[in-house]
Amino acid sequence: MTIETSFEDLYQFAACGQLSTDADGVVVVVNETFLDWSGRSREQVIGVMFRDLLTRGSQLFYETRYQPVLRLGGEIREVALELSRGDRPGLPILVNATVVGESTRIAVFDSTQRQDYERDLLAARRAAELSETRVRVLQDASTAFFTASTEQSLAEALLEIARDALIAADGAVVLQDGAGIRRVVAGNLRALELLDLWRAVPDLAEPPVEQVTTVASLLEAEATSAAGAGILRSVRMEALTATPLTGGKGALGSLVLLFGRERDFDGPALNLHVALARQASQVLERLRLQAELENMALHDQLTGLANRNLLRERLSHALARAERAGREVSIIFLDLDGFKEINDGFGHRVGDAVLQVVAARVNGVVREGDIVGRFGGDEFLIVCEEADTGAALLISERVVAAIAEPIPVVEGVGCITASVGIATVLPGKPLPTLDALVRAADAAMYTSKSAGAGRITAVTL
Amino acid sequence: MTTSPPAAGAVARNNVELTGVVAARPMVFAHGFGCSHEAWRDVAPHFTGTNQVITFDQVGAGESDLSAYDRGKYDSLHGYADDLIEIIDELGLDDVVYVGHSVSSMIGVLASIRRPELFGALILVGPSPRYVDADGYTGGFTEDDIDALLDSLDSNYLGWSAVMAPAIAGNADRPEVGDRLTASFCSVDPTIASHFARVTFMSDNRADLPKVTTPTLVLQSSDDILAPLPVGTYVHQHIRGSEMVVMTSRGHMPNLSDPDQLVKEIRDFLS
Repeated sequence: MTIETSFEDLYQFAACGQLSTDADGVVVVVNETFLDWSGRSREQVIGVMFRDLLTRGSQLFYETRYQPVLRLGGEIREVALELSRGDRPGLPILVNATVVGESTRIAVFDSTQRQDYERDLLAARRAAELSETRVRVLQDASTAFFTASTEQSLAEALLEIARDALIAADGAVVLQDGAGIRRVVAGNLRALELLDLWRAVPDLAEPPVEQVTTVASLLEAEATSAAGAGILRSVRMEALTATPLTGGKGALGSLVLLFGRERDFDGPALNLHVALARQASQVLERLRLQAELENMALHDQLTGLANRNLLRERLSHALARAERAGREVSIIFLDLDGFKEINDGFGHRVGDAVLQVVAARVNGVVREGDIVGRFGGDEFLIVCEEADTGAALLISERVVAAIAEPIPVVEGVGCITASVGIATVLPGKPLPTLDALVRAADAAMYTSKSAGAGRITAVTL
Repeated sequence: MTTSPPAAGAVARNNVELTGVVAARPMVFAHGFGCSHEAWRDVAPHFTGTNQVITFDQVGAGESDLSAYDRGKYDSLHGYADDLIEIIDELGLDDVVYVGHSVSSMIGVLASIRRPELFGALILVGPSPRYVDADGYTGGFTEDDIDALLDSLDSNYLGWSAVMAPAIAGNADRPEVGDRLTASFCSVDPTIASHFARVTFMSDNRADLPKVTTPTLVLQSSDDILAPLPVGTYVHQHIRGSEMVVMTSRGHMPNLSDPDQLVKEIRDFLS
């Protein structure tokens, strides 16, 4: 057994590789252990930058991370790098380095075993993170979507979650209403143009398919739609995806995502698009069903106008607002003349058609913001906020004229007229009850009717 | 002297520091991938006698506000360019001398194209408009090389990222701990570093170079593997009227390895 006595041997054949470099990182001294590990001769190492002995990935890390930290702090510890060994696989190493004056002393440790273990660990961690991310995203989505009470808030939640999960710089949610009209409910307004350019909305006539349209780069955009590529450039985007939102009855809209750079959309990414779109679509359908039910409870099913419940609610709000603002509010009560004869003579179906025509005409001539409701039978009520008697008279005259136009529903029905009563609440007076107000308008209408068809009577309270 | 910036918006988010002569021609120094404002430790102080000097941290690095890291926004260099413009606007600067290192060269290029009236000069240190080789263009790297860098980042952060994770998740109870990284030199958040690496090394800004109208200096190091001479030359040739100086400094970090030469070249260009 020999005990080493030479410091030279201790250095040359140490259990770790050792090098010294000058301030530029050029190797000045190196030990045998390092040469042995790297498979290079001394001549191939001396005078070469330490960086150039590493594999490409390690060189990038060396330049961007190792160097600044070493320069600023004077030392760096346990940096994982890979030694290039020509045709052989790189050797994983751990590096400590210390700056001493103009020289940097580097100790290199073989970390093959640690590296193998770490690689497995990393692969497992990445896989776990990927599936965990997906689960978390879908859970977050389901919570956020569940609490959305309007289409607007649902669209905003979908966009926010999708942007974050799929790392999109921008995007939009486009929704299609019952009449097939599409609009951008949340996000970038240009999404609609982009959608049309890439025809990403599934055709109602075709069975809905859960398929994501992808444009991965500006190059691809240019090849498929020059106009689309132009829009992308103008909003500083380079890629996009469009995912249809589909329900039981067909297209509901689209989720559009915009990306700031060229992207590679792999299977998991596309699946996540589809899963988010599916979740949002289910909630959207539920919201629409709810809205439909609420609408039915508050609207007259024959004419689509506000029913008595909704009229009372709106009227009480209008009175409260008028009192606060010190403004007038008027209601217009109208009753069709001779409607009973039409019903008796032509049947209920014709009567119903006449009511629908009248409802549409009244709705068409009132001011924006006025509420038109069917009070019952052939009685209609219009709530006009901030309207004094003069304004209410003007509105009433338009209504009377519109109703009096010939009704081409059934041969022989010809024309119908309406008798009108206006009740205006003046500011500064005690607020009447809803019932008192409606009774006053009803009484005024009777005054008109008694005086002959198609007249208007106004009272104030 | 040091003046305190307004404590809100981009200035607070990006840990902006103002030194030097108030109201003198402003110089904004922007660090590259992997580091923080400390990258300018040996350069910026040389200008405090003549200029207003502004350093800052890109969001995700140094003492920036990590909770401001919106992955979608920072998925392209445009997000960083937006921040730069915001900083300049908030400070009310114009005729800015912008000194950008590495990836921040392209961030400055993008910002100057959007708002040319803010910039008086662009000084690009080790710029590359695209790192990955493409048809007829040699950036110096393949996509495999970039993947290897990402592996390298992961293995180097494996040890401490798990420890840091709860802190960087933006713990609302302890924002002073969670939102700032002050642990070491050039501190970066590992998750963000990985994303920033991808954005940096997978971006392609070649088409933007001809749109630059600001007077530009390309500072090229010798023996820089990230931005080799042909890449620097490409940038110089595609920015109309630009100047290029090949320095004797070796490697990608002349700001740290040879600050004096860098300072001299900047001064020469500005005078």
